[in-house]
Amino acid sequence: MTALLRYQAALLIGSHRWLPPVILYGAYLAVGIQAGGPILDAYGFAAAGLLPIAVWLARICVTNEPPAARNCAAAAAGPGRVHLASLLTAAFGTLLLALPGTAFVALVSDPRSSDHHAVPVVSATGAGLLSALVCVLLGIAIGALCNWPVLRSPGSAIPAGLLAALLLSVVGASPANAAVTGLVTGSDHGTVSIPWLPLAGTVPIAVAAVAAACALSSRRT
Amino acid sequence: MRLDGVGRRYGVRGPWVLRDVQLEVPASALVRIEGTNGSGKSTLLRLFAGIDRPTTGRITGRPRTAYVPERFPAALPFTAVGYLTHLGRIHGLSGPEAARRAADWLDRFGAAGHGSTPLAELSKGTSQKVAVAQALLAEPGLLVLDEAWTGLDQGAREVLDRAVAERLADGGTVVFVDHDPRRLAGAADARYRVADGRLVPEERGRAEETAAVTGPRVIIEVEGAPGTVPRPAHAPHLPGRPDIAPGPDGALRLTVAAAHSDALLRALLTARPTWHIRSVLASPPPGGPGAPPADPGHPRPSGHGPAPHHVPSPGHDAALAHHSDDEARP
Repeated sequence: MTALLRYQAALLIGSHRWLPPVILYGAYLAVGIQAGGPILDAYGFAAAGLLPIAVWLARICVTNEPPAARNCAAAAAGPGRVHLASLLTAAFGTLLLALPGTAFVALVSDPRSSDHHAVPVVSATGAGLLSALVCVLLGIAIGALCNWPVLRSPGSAIPAGLLAALLLSVVGASPANAAVTGLVTGSDHGTVSIPWLPLAGTVPIAVAAVAAACALSSRRT
Repeated sequence: MRLDGVGRRYGVRGPWVLRDVQLEVPASALVRIEGTNGSGKSTLLRLFAGIDRPTTGRITGRPRTAYVPERFPAALPFTAVGYLTHLGRIHGLSGPEAARRAADWLDRFGAAGHGSTPLAELSKGTSQKVAVAQALLAEPGLLVLDEAWTGLDQGAREVLDRAVAERLADGGTVVFVDHDPRRLAGAADARYRVADGRLVPEERGRAEETAAVTGPRVIIEVEGAPGTVPRPAHAPHLPGRPDIAPGPDGALRLTVAAAHSDALLRALLTARPTWHIRSVLASPPPGGPGAPPADPGHPRPSGHGPAPHHVPSPGHDAALAHHSDDEARP
């Protein structure tokens, strides 16, 4: 698995297809995070942006290999493991993006609530990171289900991925929405809510989605 | 390795591409799959390689597998050696070992100069060499070749023929599809045809029969304990299944397809008890009508008879390499 992850990571880095989502996320943070703004609001905003980025990176990683090359790797390691490696690479890539995003928020935001109460920075940052993790995992789950081998044509995969990302960002029942809302409403009075419940809801969703996609990868061409 | 009632169709209600495939593939076997375009050969090879899972039935006992696709237009952001090193690691080799074997195989295929060329800039033939090297460097237990010879130049095709012989001699299984009926002629242990979704055993075709006799062959004369026959260390039979006939002075004459001569020599030199190799000769092309004319670009060394090539001592198997370059194609 290490060799596969290394191969997929080198593919992602060398393809330069990571540049547009990374630049977009940087611009999103630069425009949306105001210097001196309430820290919990900013963490909520930063985490919400990671969901579509994770969907995008998952699509990049899953489609990065031409079929001939994928077949060679699949014969060596099994198609399911090859697919798992590409989705894990997307997940690690987005989490790697979440770290500088979190650091940026911690640096420029004001550790106060909207009504100017002090907010503990460490627990706020913990809540921000966990919310980011929830958004990344849900984004990877969408990416796994809205791309090959589940949806094979780009004509259905891209609109489905976009729509799912939008819906799971705004619908109240979504764990990502719950985590972000928890941060933003907590910001009103400076109450830090660690998103344990959304995380507990997201992990099985992400595991099931990734497992389904990997299981299908040897049944579709 | 066993295929048990294997069937495959694409989609829930698609037509069956393959049905009820029942096959037992022994270790160290060379299996040829034939069939017309679109008959399901490639699907069968993908099932062999484990890239696809059968819709019905199951495949058991698959060893570590490597697959060579027909076309390898890999737009990957790696150099040739970089890609091969990654694939070697995926096959379980250490990084330095994978890089060493990558360089070795590119060298054998005459592409050593392209080691640091990005894959996207390689010619079609050189990309195919990378695709073949990717499979061979792992020394897999099962090698699946889907028209892997297509796009290779003549020299590289012969290197691949010999590499297949080496895999077989090491106890590996090779399954291949190729449109040239003379490809590895006379060496295949089993031939099957995919037709109407069924896999049927194929009798030896006339083209292969002819090629088995008229293709380049090598005679090896060996001496050992009287009344014994050489046995290889790893495989159930000698590489290339040579015809064994008594020679002069109690020696044995082993006649084998040229592609297998290196592997056969290696097996003879490593066999226990030991065998002394007395001589290695290129077999003369059979005369008479219907015999193909010798390639004018590669005239036979002595005009009529075989060119004797005495090997001074065991352990000198590389001396043979140029014999298999002799081409006698109709």
